[in-house]
Amino acid sequence: MKLKLAAFALSIVLVCSVLAGTAGAEEEKTLNVFTWSLYLDQDTILTPFTEETGIEVNYDYFDSNEEMLMKLQAVDAGTYDIVLASDYILDIARKEGLLMKLDKEKLSNWDNLNPVYLGQFYDPNDEYCVPYAAGTPLIIYDPAYVDFPITGYASLWDERLEDSVVLMDDARNVIGITLKTMGESFNVTDKAVLDAAEEKLMQLKKNIRALDYNAPYATMISGEATVGYMFTQHVLYTLQERPDMVVVYPEEGMGFGIDCCVIPANAPHPDNAHLFLNFLLRPEIGAQIAQVQLMQNCNKAADALLGDDFKNNPVLYIPDEVLGDAEFIEDVGDAQLYYNDIWTRFKQY
Amino acid sequence: MKKRSKKTWLCAPLYLWCILFVGLPLVYVAGVSFCTRDATWGITAVFTLENYRMIVDPMYLRVFTESLLLSAVCTVIALLIGYPFAYAMVKATPARQALLMMLVIVPFWTSALIRANGWMLILRANGPINSALKALGVIQRPLKLLYTRGAVMLGYVYTMLPFTILPCYTALARMDFSLVAAARDLGARPLRVFFTITLPLTMGGVMSAVTLTLIPSLGIFFLSDLLGGGKTVLIGNLIQNQLLTARNTPFGAALSVVLLLLTALVMWVQRKMGGETRIL
Amino acid sequence: MQAVEKRKRRGRAVYIAIVLTFLYLPMLMVALFSFNPSKTAGVMTGFTLEWYRELFTDKEIAKTLANSLKLAALSVGTAAVIGTAGAVALARKRMRLQGMMEGMAMLPAMVPEVVLGMAFLAAFTFAGLRLGMLTLYIAHTTFCIPYIFVLVRSRLASIDPQLEEAARDLGARPARVFFDITLPLALPAIVAGMLMAFAMSLDDVVISYFVTGPGAQTLPLKVYSSLKVGVTPEINALCTLTLGLVLIIVLIAQRIRGAKSS
Repeated sequence: MKLKLAAFALSIVLVCSVLAGTAGAEEEKTLNVFTWSLYLDQDTILTPFTEETGIEVNYDYFDSNEEMLMKLQAVDAGTYDIVLASDYILDIARKEGLLMKLDKEKLSNWDNLNPVYLGQFYDPNDEYCVPYAAGTPLIIYDPAYVDFPITGYASLWDERLEDSVVLMDDARNVIGITLKTMGESFNVTDKAVLDAAEEKLMQLKKNIRALDYNAPYATMISGEATVGYMFTQHVLYTLQERPDMVVVYPEEGMGFGIDCCVIPANAPHPDNAHLFLNFLLRPEIGAQIAQVQLMQNCNKAADALLGDDFKNNPVLYIPDEVLGDAEFIEDVGDAQLYYNDIWTRFKQY
Repeated sequence: MKKRSKKTWLCAPLYLWCILFVGLPLVYVAGVSFCTRDATWGITAVFTLENYRMIVDPMYLRVFTESLLLSAVCTVIALLIGYPFAYAMVKATPARQALLMMLVIVPFWTSALIRANGWMLILRANGPINSALKALGVIQRPLKLLYTRGAVMLGYVYTMLPFTILPCYTALARMDFSLVAAARDLGARPLRVFFTITLPLTMGGVMSAVTLTLIPSLGIFFLSDLLGGGKTVLIGNLIQNQLLTARNTPFGAALSVVLLLLTALVMWVQRKMGGETRIL
Repeated sequence: MQAVEKRKRRGRAVYIAIVLTFLYLPMLMVALFSFNPSKTAGVMTGFTLEWYRELFTDKEIAKTLANSLKLAALSVGTAAVIGTAGAVALARKRMRLQGMMEGMAMLPAMVPEVVLGMAFLAAFTFAGLRLGMLTLYIAHTTFCIPYIFVLVRSRLASIDPQLEEAARDLGARPARVFFDITLPLALPAIVAGMLMAFAMSLDDVVISYFVTGPGAQTLPLKVYSSLKVGVTPEINALCTLTLGLVLIIVLIAQRIRGAKSS
């Protein structure tokens, strides 16, 4: 009998513990930020912000942009006060009505931003997004092993590079550079063009040593691969260990990406969020962001605070005439499925 | 008999927990698999069988067969390594057994990503294996060990090993070894004893090991990316990709339902085999 | 005959040593690289304790580690109670829906994490639960149950039922029978299951990702998410420390047991 009672009590306790709502009173002085781990630096950004305003920061991490969007939809654009993610995903979030319009009255430092990074496809009227940092994926190679000039994406197809190329494991970027070699845009939606791109892409397979989204630089540094196409930060990590490597601005035209801060539509602490954004827009903080994250600086007022070392870095400061009309990877709607099918076939065969 | 029935109440928490937190969520997944994908991300509640039709596409069928093959081969390898280990464990003193049990599982209390990274460091072009072979003059250019099928299999076997050792161990630990001794006294050869007595008596443990490794390993998604260089797509990657990158939740759900059915099949087979061991 | 037995024993010891080496090999590399001054290099470039220093001053890691340990302890504890109770009840009897329930109890270990995570997120949002430690606890308990359930059940299944019956015939009450007979017999399986469940809970990324909320970040989530901005050698240092600490505890426990039994 005792056992029966105990079991019954146990189940009751379990159910109650689960059903009990936990909607406790919210702390007034908190800010819930949601981004990649370490992307908002503790020492140079978060701690100074808390010291100055008394607002405690809850730092929540996601692993990829897509995970962020899924989560943001699940919590109905609430829970988080600041989300820092990439351009194309914020474009979708904006179209889905998940973002809150910025109150520019509260952003007195807005004019510090470099206008180059404003008015982009994901936020044409600059109503939702505050640019945080930007980057351009580039080609990098080891001249000790590659004895012919690499000039652009097309060089990756060269048969001398058999089993020695590392690329980011990303459908849009890799199919994108294939399209570029055909003189097309990163954002093609025409199936016939994509089919042609698939055929071309398949010829690249024998040159692929590895596809790695997160740490392609390790593959380069260890000598596992001799040529790589990777994001800005990864190019810089490779150069840190192997300064002898050569960076190439692909002649077919470059890709470009901007990571931005936004406030979700139902953010619990919008005032704190605006305070935080205005804090980020200060010149000295902008300079810290660029230096700590090794990304292109979006804050014009911060330029004066950055050293020559930083400004002369060819990976971070690409001459305008070369950068030209660098192209964003944008949301392509339903064609996304087709891109993914091509990618699955590419990896599988 | 009446006394015994009281014990059935003990399964109430389990039943309740499973219905609430496993059953209901999975009903949701099954439901989603019959829905239509909408333009941006979400799901539209319009009934369709399209998601299941897509699975029959040769490309996806190939993903399924390759994943099953890889998981099956690795499960067998892990069992071939793990079962003798469990056997050796049982023969040790009780204190030793407890120690070994801890030693087997402790490495798995750290991040899987870090462990995979450890293997990458070992297999690298400039890693210890290649350096040693080079120093010995066996090879001139580093061997390509990383980003190969072999590296992926190594990763799977490594991950599966504790999950084969522990169930085999619990099965062997409760086995009556006097039967083995008796058979030996009657003149049966060791191999014969193993296949007619030891293995059938511990089949339950082996099947538990299979349950805990074969199907779960189908869901692993990062090993083929890290150790195989992302050059093959396995079911785990495919589902992950459909749900998180391709933004095709209903198709991801349909793939999961098929995987669930596979799971059910494996467990049904296990129950069959489990029943047989009891008859023996 | 004794010589044969001795040779066999040595053979077993060698085999155990080989497999354990295999299990610890990658961890040894990680330990080695936790002393590597370079953040990104694939080879040792020197020796430093810098990462250990950073580890001890990193409040984020301390917080997420505390969350992870708390979560693992709570959910493994709950799962042990539920799983063991269920296994005891279902070990020898055939009940209605038993096959289905057993299947369901096992499912969380079989379904790809991302599916379970998605399903949990939908269910919790539907139930109006706020994402945080509570939802993490429910999710972790759910996927910890199978490891304990399957091991305890398979162990109980072939324990001689006459033992319990004898105890009952001698007048022991059910609770007494449970605690004096059943539980001690099942204990090795419970411990093994808890060890495995603990490993799963401490290492879960995908499910945790879906069900976590503000202020409830776990260590694996932090590790995976750090990848965008490079590897974190502090995590190598942390893994090394964890492993070292646990091994020391295990060896001390072994000593004590050894001393007791001799």
